[in-house]
Amino acid sequence: MGRNTIIFICIVLVVLSAGILAYTLFDRKVAIEDCISIERPAAIYPDYSDIVLPPNIAPLNFVVREDGSRYCVKIYSKQGENIKIFSRSPKIVVPQKQWRQLLKLNRGEEMYFDVFVQMEKEKWKRFDTITNKIAHEKIDNFLVYRRIHPGYSTWSKMGVYQRNLQNYDESLILDNGYYGNGCLNCHTFCQNQPGKMLLGIRSSIYGSSELLVEDDKAEKIGTKFGYTSWHPSGRLATYSINKIHLFFHSAKNEVRGVTDLDSLLAYYILDSKTVKTSSKFSNKQRLETYPTWSPDGRYLYFCSAPVLWSDRDTLPQENYDQVRYDLVRVSYDIDRDEWGELETVLSAEDTNLTILLPRVSPDGRWLLFCMCDYGSFPVYHDTSDLYLLDLTAFEKTGRAGPQRLHINSNKSESWHSWSSNSRWMAFSSKRQNGVFTRTYFSYLDNEGRAYKPFLLPQKDPTYYDSCLWTYSVPELVAEPVQVTGETLGRIIRGSEKISVHLPITMATPKPDAVPGSRQKWYERE
Amino acid sequence: MVPKNSKIEVRKWVYGRDIGGFIRTSIFYILFYLYLWLVVDLRLIYHGAGEIIDFPVFLRGWPFFSEFISRPGGMVEYTAAFLSQLFYIGWIGALVATLQAWLICVCVDYFLKAVNYPRLCWLRFIPPILLLIVYTQYTYHFVTVMALLVTLLFICLFPGIIKKSSQLDRFRVIFFLVLSVILYYLAGGAYLLFALLFAIYELLLRGRWWIFLLYLLSAIVIPYVVGVMVCGVSVIDAFSDLSPFSWKILYYEASRKMIKGVYLMYLMLPMTLLIVGLWRIFLKVAAKRKSAREGDAKLVTKSYKPWTKIFSWYSRNNGLKWFVESLILYGIAVGAVLLSYDIEKKTLFLVDYYAYDRKWTHVLQTARQHSDSFPVMYAVNRALYHTHKLNLDMFSYPQHSDTLFLTIKESRFDYWKKFDFYIDIGLMNIAQNDLTECFEVFGARPMILKRLALVNMVKGDIDSARIYLGVLSKTLFDADWANKYLELLNADPNLATDDRIQHLRSLMLKTDYGFSAFDIEDILSQLLQENRQNRMAFEYTMAWYMMTRQLDKFVRNLDRLDDFGYIRLPRLYEEAVLVQLYRARKPINLFGRQLTSESKQRFEMFSQTYKRYGTNKKAAVKELAKGFGDTYLFYYIYDFSGMKKWAETQ
Repeated sequence: MGRNTIIFICIVLVVLSAGILAYTLFDRKVAIEDCISIERPAAIYPDYSDIVLPPNIAPLNFVVREDGSRYCVKIYSKQGENIKIFSRSPKIVVPQKQWRQLLKLNRGEEMYFDVFVQMEKEKWKRFDTITNKIAHEKIDNFLVYRRIHPGYSTWSKMGVYQRNLQNYDESLILDNGYYGNGCLNCHTFCQNQPGKMLLGIRSSIYGSSELLVEDDKAEKIGTKFGYTSWHPSGRLATYSINKIHLFFHSAKNEVRGVTDLDSLLAYYILDSKTVKTSSKFSNKQRLETYPTWSPDGRYLYFCSAPVLWSDRDTLPQENYDQVRYDLVRVSYDIDRDEWGELETVLSAEDTNLTILLPRVSPDGRWLLFCMCDYGSFPVYHDTSDLYLLDLTAFEKTGRAGPQRLHINSNKSESWHSWSSNSRWMAFSSKRQNGVFTRTYFSYLDNEGRAYKPFLLPQKDPTYYDSCLWTYSVPELVAEPVQVTGETLGRIIRGSEKISVHLPITMATPKPDAVPGSRQKWYERE
Repeated sequence: MVPKNSKIEVRKWVYGRDIGGFIRTSIFYILFYLYLWLVVDLRLIYHGAGEIIDFPVFLRGWPFFSEFISRPGGMVEYTAAFLSQLFYIGWIGALVATLQAWLICVCVDYFLKAVNYPRLCWLRFIPPILLLIVYTQYTYHFVTVMALLVTLLFICLFPGIIKKSSQLDRFRVIFFLVLSVILYYLAGGAYLLFALLFAIYELLLRGRWWIFLLYLLSAIVIPYVVGVMVCGVSVIDAFSDLSPFSWKILYYEASRKMIKGVYLMYLMLPMTLLIVGLWRIFLKVAAKRKSAREGDAKLVTKSYKPWTKIFSWYSRNNGLKWFVESLILYGIAVGAVLLSYDIEKKTLFLVDYYAYDRKWTHVLQTARQHSDSFPVMYAVNRALYHTHKLNLDMFSYPQHSDTLFLTIKESRFDYWKKFDFYIDIGLMNIAQNDLTECFEVFGARPMILKRLALVNMVKGDIDSARIYLGVLSKTLFDADWANKYLELLNADPNLATDDRIQHLRSLMLKTDYGFSAFDIEDILSQLLQENRQNRMAFEYTMAWYMMTRQLDKFVRNLDRLDDFGYIRLPRLYEEAVLVQLYRARKPINLFGRQLTSESKQRFEMFSQTYKRYGTNKKAAVKELAKGFGDTYLFYYIYDFSGMKKWAETQ
């Protein structure tokens, strides 16, 4: 046999083998005829059934948790081509282009998932159709969150990331590797826009500071802000200063507890680069925290609780489990820099719960907050649930009748934020397990009805099965943050900063204080 | 013509090779391997003992791999992470480490020959000797050494390509840049060694300053462009990742240990070239200034004659040369090992390793050799408990009240060493706290994931446990354990058939309260309140009272002996009772038990011996230690224990 003949035969064999391999490995479309009807919906994970989804969300890939050797899912709506996915594994990965097209054509319509499962040599089983709804309103395109491990007082890697919700792209805004492993948190945006951002930094090498990003410029303010809220004008930002103490539970499922030994609010004025406070929210007999502005800039809402202990050295303090915050507000005239009188919106005495994390919807209609049994850190309390207050009704009647949203679970819900169109809420939930916080979205209609929340989709639907990250403080923003990590890192490492001085003494950390190596910075999630 | 494969041809081939050098090197590496395998035992480095904080995590699957490919140095880091896992199996880990050392040696040898300095080839043994020291000290720098190895391979590749033909030499700069980009992507900041080395070579040995400048410039431009602009890493990481100068190594004291050895490995070749190059320049300058006079040259030749004669004879005597050089090499290696050997450190690692695997007799055997440190004694007490000897033998070892819960100031953050103890005694939340801190410090190491899964299963947080098990199922050696539990959880989420989990559930505290720090006595009391059958809590309570001399509380808890079916008092409890009887002069309720005559006799003899020395406690110590060095009586008087063995050697 000549050499050429041998080569030719080898090539043919290789091509044939490749063809056979491709045929066996790649899923082929098959006609599904004559299936057995199973009168229940298929168990899928994540649970993307009976939800309202935004028309610009990435495909909701999921796993079919039914025994089988072959799977088929048909996704369809009123208009457009059906999407059919065949798979030998229970992982269903929806093609992005077809998904986007289907959503685009069917805003306001229902979307159906037909799930078929086949065992080897058996008939296909067809489960009840899963029905979802595509909302008219889009969700903001980007989600910014901090990704950390659920640690306690030590940390290694952490970062603030942004995720494009239309696909699965995640990019880094800043991580602590840029400045030698410190801490970063409390990323805050002005009116869901990345053009004005604040981000808190703590570093044993470079000190504590606040990064102020305005469009593509960034500066460092020589003090760290706690929980922060931008005034809608973008001219000032209000923040809390908290003296936080971490303690432990002997037997609760949540190992950690957090109390504020002391706290107050202050505000940073961008033009004058000064920090001020007011007696309205820096009362030494009270703990003030979680500021948030109304979208018209007329009111500052925040949480306030009485200090219940005289001995500040015993930790945890006596009555730490009796601390309950009221929801209050104070009016503000930005042009005169004048504060009005304090007004209680909702009292802890009435609810017998502590009221935390108020966030007003951008249209000014709703106030979303959480309540739990006691304390100041709802993410550590399984009892923390989301509540909604109709501010229009409140303004009319002067009475707040909060409604507990039925989207809550028996685990902590907290760290909620609004989309810029006030239709979508993003929040952190531990409903999947007691340790790892995940991000969920829920649609809120005009009547204030919240729809079943759904988990932030991932390209690999089994991602969360072995995800050791906690997704903390999800914030919806309309556009991506443009400033790079290297730019921010350089500013942190640099010596230039805006020096500020807080005109009050309390449990205030000094600006630029470099905590000792053994001092622990708390408030992890 | 001599036919092929004739004896003469073979002889010619044999003498053309340095057979002696080959044998010497082989022996060196065989001993290197055996030492790492049998003496150092790289399984201990894999385990880490809570001392090695930068041992890498490795998980199977694309998601883990994809984290590495998008940044410079990621490929070497991934490969090194995988190879490091092989330390789990002692002999394979030793083989990997030996291969790494050998390859570095080969590369150094090749490079020095390529730059025409074969006489300096003995330098090739410096890196492996340094590695011996690094491993003997139980430190871990495998990743950065791997980056060095890859860089050295490229350092050898470059002259290898150039030398193939003079035409290729014309394109040396292009080759250099191409290799630079590839190397930088593979090995990150270690690439700078490549650029620096060839820059020095070009300047000092070839005199081509413009190429020198270009190479230096590439060392700045390539990391910036590829690292910062393309891959988006920070500028600091772009220039330092994977090198021993990285802040990720220097920031932490634990990872800085023995880093000077790694610096030496990295800087050895550039320093050599620098010295050689400067020496050449010096010689050239010196030669130009000297006037070449024949008489002087003859005189010079005459005055050095004896030495050159000796040297010439030595050079011709291959056998002697081989012997002397081998002696020097092995002598330096052995000396380095002996000087860096730290029995205390090894004991710490061994004890921790055995304790994690619950090989309690091994813990006790190892601790016997060297039991002075608190962490070792802490592990010994756990081993004594688990082998039912805590109330019999604890004072045969050095004891201190801080060894029970490892509460000394230096061990305040030794979470690694404590979590298993907390799990065993029923303090699940404290265990979870410590494990979570360990997770942050050491990463998703399998030993931590395993315990986190266990704790969550005990606490009933099955969903969280599944996540830890999910990650664990992607590790190389613990996947089976994880999969077994994942299957069990599917079949029986309550884990009713798992005895250990059910037992731990029965022990754990169920009454919740907030605390910042715990009081030992308090927490032991709570554990016993939660479950009277918590034997560990009971024995530790009694040990605590004995060590802190609270014998009134000790005797008050004697009724608990009934909960554990003690027919008679353990020896050390008898001694404590006798001391209390002597002190309080009041009868003590032993709940139907009697003191043995042996204990009474021992107490009598101890008292008599002690009284003979009057008030001079110090004078009595030797005699008392000999007869009673392992008793509570001795500890009660002297506040230290474990003296019997010492006394026997006096």
